[in-house]
Amino acid sequence: MRPYTFAQPRSVREALRGAGPDTAFLAGGTTLVDLMKLEVVTPERVVDINRLPLDGITLDHKGLHIGALERMSDVAADRRVRENYPMVAQALELSASAQLRNMASIGGNLLQRTRCGYFRDVSTPCNKREPGSGCSALEGINRGHAVLGTSDDCIASHPSDLAVPLVALSTVVHLASARGTRSVPLDTFYTLPGATPEVENVLRPNELITGITVPRSPWAAHSLYVKVRDRQSYEFALTSAAVALGMRGRTITSARVAAGGVGTRPWRLTAVERALTGRPATAATFEAAVVRAADGAQPREHNAFKPALLRRTLVRALTELQESR
Amino acid sequence: MRIDGTEATAEPRPGQCLRTYLREQGATAVKKGCDAGDCGACTVLLDGAPVQSCLVPAHRAADAEVVTAAGLGRFGPGGDPDADPEALHPVQRAFVEAAAFQCGFCTAGLVCTVAGTPPPVGELKGNLCRCTGYRSIRDALAGRVNTEVAEPGQAFGRAVVAPAAARVVSGREAYTLDEPAPPGLLHVAVLGSPHPHARIIRIDATAARRAPGVHLVLTHHDVPDTLYSTARHENRLDDPDDTRMLDPVLRFVGQRVAVAVAETPRQARAALALVDVEYETLPAVFDPEAARQPGAPLIHPGRTPDEHRVADASRNVVAQLHEEYAEPGHGGVDAALAASAATVEGTWTTDRVNHVALETHGARAWLSPGPSAGAEQPVLHVRTSTQVPFLVRDELARLLDLPEERVRVVAGRVGGGFGGKQELLVEDVVALAALRTGRPVQWELSREQQFTMVPCRHPMRIGVRAGADADGHLTALAIDVLADTGAYGNHAPGVLFHGVHESMAVYRAPNKRVDAESVYTNNVPSGAFRGYGLGQVQFAIEGAIDELAARLGIDPVEMRRRNVIRPGDPFVVGRPVDGDLEYGSYGLDQCLDLVEEALAREPSPVEPPPAVEPVETWLHGEWSVGTGVALAMIATIPPRGHFTHARVTVGADGDFVVDVGTAEFGNGTTTVHAQIAATELGVPVDRVRVRSSDTATAGYDTGAFGSAGSVVAGLAVQRAAQSLKTTLDSLSAGHLSGRTDAIAQIASTQLAGVWAEATHDGSPRSVAFNVHGFRVAVHRGTGEVRILRSVHAADAGVVINPEQLRGQIDGGVGQALGSAMTERMVVRDGVVVTRTLRHYRMPQLSDVPVTEVLFADTVDRLGPRGAKSMSEAPYNPVAPALANAIADATGVRPRDLPIQRDRLWELLGATSDR
Ligand SMILES: Cc1cc2nc3c(=O)[nH]c(=O)nc-3n(C[C@H](O)[C@H](O)[C@H](O)COP(=O)(O)OP(=O)(O)OC[C@H]3O[C@@H](n4cnc5c(N)ncnc54)[C@H](O)[C@@H]3O)c2cc1C
Ligand code: SF4
Ligand code: FES
Ligand code: FES
Repeated sequence: MRPYTFAQPRSVREALRGAGPDTAFLAGGTTLVDLMKLEVVTPERVVDINRLPLDGITLDHKGLHIGALERMSDVAADRRVRENYPMVAQALELSASAQLRNMASIGGNLLQRTRCGYFRDVSTPCNKREPGSGCSALEGINRGHAVLGTSDDCIASHPSDLAVPLVALSTVVHLASARGTRSVPLDTFYTLPGATPEVENVLRPNELITGITVPRSPWAAHSLYVKVRDRQSYEFALTSAAVALGMRGRTITSARVAAGGVGTRPWRLTAVERALTGRPATAATFEAAVVRAADGAQPREHNAFKPALLRRTLVRALTELQESR
Repeated sequence: MRIDGTEATAEPRPGQCLRTYLREQGATAVKKGCDAGDCGACTVLLDGAPVQSCLVPAHRAADAEVVTAAGLGRFGPGGDPDADPEALHPVQRAFVEAAAFQCGFCTAGLVCTVAGTPPPVGELKGNLCRCTGYRSIRDALAGRVNTEVAEPGQAFGRAVVAPAAARVVSGREAYTLDEPAPPGLLHVAVLGSPHPHARIIRIDATAARRAPGVHLVLTHHDVPDTLYSTARHENRLDDPDDTRMLDPVLRFVGQRVAVAVAETPRQARAALALVDVEYETLPAVFDPEAARQPGAPLIHPGRTPDEHRVADASRNVVAQLHEEYAEPGHGGVDAALAASAATVEGTWTTDRVNHVALETHGARAWLSPGPSAGAEQPVLHVRTSTQVPFLVRDELARLLDLPEERVRVVAGRVGGGFGGKQELLVEDVVALAALRTGRPVQWELSREQQFTMVPCRHPMRIGVRAGADADGHLTALAIDVLADTGAYGNHAPGVLFHGVHESMAVYRAPNKRVDAESVYTNNVPSGAFRGYGLGQVQFAIEGAIDELAARLGIDPVEMRRRNVIRPGDPFVVGRPVDGDLEYGSYGLDQCLDLVEEALAREPSPVEPPPAVEPVETWLHGEWSVGTGVALAMIATIPPRGHFTHARVTVGADGDFVVDVGTAEFGNGTTTVHAQIAATELGVPVDRVRVRSSDTATAGYDTGAFGSAGSVVAGLAVQRAAQSLKTTLDSLSAGHLSGRTDAIAQIASTQLAGVWAEATHDGSPRSVAFNVHGFRVAVHRGTGEVRILRSVHAADAGVVINPEQLRGQIDGGVGQALGSAMTERMVVRDGVVVTRTLRHYRMPQLSDVPVTEVLFADTVDRLGPRGAKSMSEAPYNPVAPALANAIADATGVRPRDLPIQRDRLWELLGATSDR
């Protein structure tokens, strides 16, 4: 790691004061410290935000509010989350390892960087790390990369499991900067790589995530997260699916569906949602609904399996959710 | 910050992670396995919660309470701060009693994770273990006791606790870099080649030498020009001399270009950026088949068979074997195949696999005054993570032109080897740097360097042609092996010749043929890896035998029974082998029976298989179930001599001290040697202390490889102990024969210093056998494989320590399942892409099923008290058994390892999405 100066402010205002272009906010550090050791990111100033009052989990009529500094382990273990938003708890539990979840925060999770191996390897070209240097993954090893939302400059998949159910549930992210506060839907918070893969979201320099709100809904409680990966144990998703269904009898009244591991950002599948709504929850409905789930996918040399695997993962998630009733 | 109850005052440096800080404060129970949050070896309790300390900036813990494995007993959950400093936490005691470690490098992190996690502990996703296959760890979590206390003189054959157990589980046992840093310690950084094949035209280190903190920069102009091989064997002529410490020609990406030695690792790395190098890039070749074709770029042109032991440098062939044999009255392979009732012809491949010993390679060197200080020349000390301290000493002496007495090599406890530490990879650099600077010097490889610089397992392509008559008797067996040895030929001949040896010899066929070549490419070098080539070739042959059985409609186990060798049969590879290989005992027949019976049984009540979801839970009807078996034979000792020496001395405190040169890296030799000595001497096993792997205190030992640690050194220990017993009996005028307590008594008072020694030359050698069986379910929709049942039978002769042997087998199976299913070093144009444990997928606890382990009942007439070695072998039959089970389930035979889920899915024709 390169040397840096270190601050441990106690208020948001203090944290935002004096933050410059080479400042990094440190939450759990499980992404930041890893990348600093590799010198993939080299901040001159590190602001430890762990003493800021950005914790707390509350549930009210509007929904579930989670402070940015809540640890993944605490959120996953919270009874209110488990009962009302099961797929959020599942996505957290299927992420990383227990030790990491003890350290890692919700805000940091949403801002974790891609797992693309070239991004981590400073000896190779990578547009995300070094704009304009080229993308090694296009012609390189791209088994884990995205097939949706890619560009000619970057095909890195979005790594967060948590973001997948959150996007499906229309979560809102709360932000604070020296200019004030604002709230942005998570779906539009993330940007597509396009010609600027170094930009991953609409967060402004020195803007903090203070928390998130997951809206209350009848379907969130009937939800499931399924993650398909190479190992049973900890592993980023090859594909994943977050599904939530509102039901009347055997009829699906509303559906929320998103996928992970396939997109350059967490991928909401509104067409699948529409195809499910108003139909009976049967195998035939599920099969029919997922047919076009991966339309527009642009597979590369090693990830041609992803569109089909995505469809199977969705069917599996829908089937298991239905059987769990 | 409080560390294990003591206030630490030193200010963390900016940019320092908690792990480095803790180790600098002397808390060496905190290990480093990856430095990236993948392995869990660095886990500590931070205000009670387990965290991976390599990802915590030290500042952040400034006001925190940190507990490491060393303080867990007193300051961990439920601990008593006033207890004995060495008190174990209940979790640590459970690990001791379950024998839940081998090398133990993962253990200090594991016990912290478990102690700090409220039950249920779950799948321990944040902790990797390479040695145990996780079964014993599951047992520790469940509170099962796998060890026992043996009566004096009764330790042989009992599951006694490893002598170092309490120290290992509390992180107190010193691994290579766990001793306090000597004052003035300098650090090494090495510039790796950016090109797969290039010549250094100009290299200028002037600026680097002037950089802050830098003491030494080495380029190829500054080092001895001696050719050597990084591979280490009893006979140094076994391997080609094709390597230089620093070579102006670079043959793989990552090869050493320059070395910087500075006050801190950072300064050393910074200096490398100032080394100015001009390269002339040369054409490179990455495919071994292309490499041996005319016109291919030559990687070691001009090397000769006589001088450098390179078979045919003009074709990039470093080693080759072409032999055909027909028993009298038989007309050779081609004729036999033409006349066979059934034939099989196919090609199998295995990929690049990394050892992933949890402790990376690392070494420290320093100079100290000679034995009688003063006029004497200083002695070069090297403390290193090696399986072969004596062989390292000999080659260092040769490279640096020092007499052997002036080089002392010591291995502490080694954090896993698996063949990767049968190489000279870091010791030459620290030794030369210590000589040049006069300061102690250390080099610890990063996990990334383990992937980019350290030799991996040889990838192989194996063609098999086999035929049988209608009764299933083999008529011909022919193999055509192509091994990719990468840029250097270390272990290339050994792996090739051994790979085709026992694998061919275990089957009787009147006509045999072997064509085998190991070829240079511009890939990262391949080297020694558990199984030493056998696993790759066995994967192919066992697949072919299975296919032949299927064609003939013969049960696969029966097919093997009809064709395996039996005592008295000659060992035939491509021709009958003469030498010192014998049937010390034979239990292959029993192993086949045991596995067949076990697969037919329902899971036994004592060993429940891991909880698997009922196979019908999703996508109904798409699961197919099948069973498969495979066998393997292995020689118990490497050929052409494996020498060892053991001395047993009565210590001043009345304990017995065993000095033996072989290294302990989780293979359990210390336990076994203590058991053997205690049994011969008739004393409790805890009265025997084993001191190993120090070239200055122990007699010569070839090293811990080729599964030799238990049987070769073990036999020497047995003989030395027997001889000491005789001496003690006569010294006490025969009064004490059989009165074991009295010996111990006398020993303590009158006989301190009495000793006896013995040697063994590793000949003759015996054969050991392993059979593995699987029942699997394969999901046709996604290519997922679930192991429903895993059974392993081993013929290890008389079992010295059943729990430890079982642990070796569990570990071998676990490691083999990794390379069978998920592990693969992805290399593109010579660049290793999988450089972290996040991208290289070795199994974790939930990936490895519990294996039912069974032992054949045989008594080896060559090994100590009837025992045979069993450390590499369990690895070998696993991948073919899995492939055979998948073939049985689906009708599609995977011939390429690893059988990754997406590959299998493609094989099953599922990509079209039904
Ligand atoms: C071995 C390993 C395996 C993993 N496996 C998975 C997995 O399976 N699934 C998964 O989803 N994730 C996985 N992860 C990623 C892990 O979940 C993230 O690293 C973690 O959630 C990041 O949180 P953190 O608090 O540690 O963030 P930090 O590392 O502290 O921060 C990450 C980034 O966010 C910024 N930041 C953090 N908090 C804020 C804030 N409040 N406002 C503004 N900026 C902020 C930081 O400046 C930094 O750029 C894995 C990580 C590792 C190391
Ligand atoms: S995919 Fe994106 S992150 Fe990966 S190398 Fe290309 S630009 Fe970099
Ligand atoms: S060294 Fe920290 S997790 Fe491996
Ligand atoms: S005992 Fe776990 S890594 Fe060696």
